[in-house]
Amino acid sequence: MKNLKRLLTRPLVALPSSLVIIILVVALVGFADATYLSAEHFRGVIPPCSVTGGCEKVLTSDFSVVFGIPVSLLGAVYYLLIAIGGLIFLESKHISKLEKHNSEILRLSLLLTIPGFLASVWFTGLQVFVIHSYCTYCLGSACVTTILLSLTVVMFRKYRRTDEEDLRFKI
Amino acid sequence: MNTKRITFWLGFVVIIGLIIWGLVVAMNKTPNSTSKIGVPAPVTSSDNVEGSSSARVTLIEYGDFQCPACSTYAFYVERLFNEASSTMRVVFRHFPLSQHPNAIPAARAAEAAGVQGKFWDMYRLLYANQSDWSEKTTTEANTIFDGYATTLKLDMTNFKADEMSSSTIAKIMAQEAEGQKIGIDHTPSFFVNGREVNPNTYEEFKTIIDAALSGTAE
Repeated sequence: MKNLKRLLTRPLVALPSSLVIIILVVALVGFADATYLSAEHFRGVIPPCSVTGGCEKVLTSDFSVVFGIPVSLLGAVYYLLIAIGGLIFLESKHISKLEKHNSEILRLSLLLTIPGFLASVWFTGLQVFVIHSYCTYCLGSACVTTILLSLTVVMFRKYRRTDEEDLRFKI
Repeated sequence: MNTKRITFWLGFVVIIGLIIWGLVVAMNKTPNSTSKIGVPAPVTSSDNVEGSSSARVTLIEYGDFQCPACSTYAFYVERLFNEASSTMRVVFRHFPLSQHPNAIPAARAAEAAGVQGKFWDMYRLLYANQSDWSEKTTTEANTIFDGYATTLKLDMTNFKADEMSSSTIAKIMAQEAEGQKIGIDHTPSFFVNGREVNPNTYEEFKTIIDAALSGTAE
């Protein structure tokens, strides 16, 4: 538990821009996917039934909307927040060239991948066990979130402030 | 805020805008332009047809009774037919999809009702009440279909026999095979005078039918 707390709360240091750019691109892919589904929802277009699966059953199920808000729209906002977190970091490092990069905002936005991943597990479970149909776009979003969580774990493990640095910082 | 920062954030806004614009363009693109769908087989006496054979416009639907989109479009089709019944005929062909276990039983019920001249009445009942039987087991769904047959005052002995007859399933499978042959990959698939159309709304559908009626369709 203490290790987990250390993993999640410790500031990130010496973050490579390449890893942040990968996260940014992956988050934008997720944003495009979720935005497409949101647009279809608001256009009121009933998805046709395809020979390749039951996307229409998933997208017209009661689970596709939470308190009147389409789940895909929540997903789009979630991916956008992660992308903005990455951009704020890159901007502080390469454009403003701040001595202390804005890694804290990036860290906070990356923490969103944990509830994001849990939500993806929940919705994939609904497709498998309750709706008994699969939506390619929803499964694609689940894959994107899994990739984002994996990159977050790598980042948090590899680039968090060490115990010695943390002690020195506190002193 | 210096110019570099403004450019950086403007660049991001432009990228987001391009993503959204690309999606909108993709959604509004008419599939017809790249469609490789063939032409449906000519209407024959074995088809389920509503309307006059001399009608100027023939609308053929390949549908699946358990498909939610087909249910929505069934209301559009009925409204269009009611508005232009003297100049338009509607043909329904079965295209039951594998992910819908109650689609074939529903198609059997519609065909069995058709033997007694009530195909379109059963068609309307099946689509209007789709949510009542869609997620039920096939046995439960069949019981519900029996209830529709009773409502339509069908001869139940003949209805049950026709529902399970080999000729009924053969007809359903033949229509599905014909749909597969011309490359249909989704339901509902509509053809107006042999040309595939993909309306998203009732208004779009009406525009297409009106154009076909006035002879201005390509």
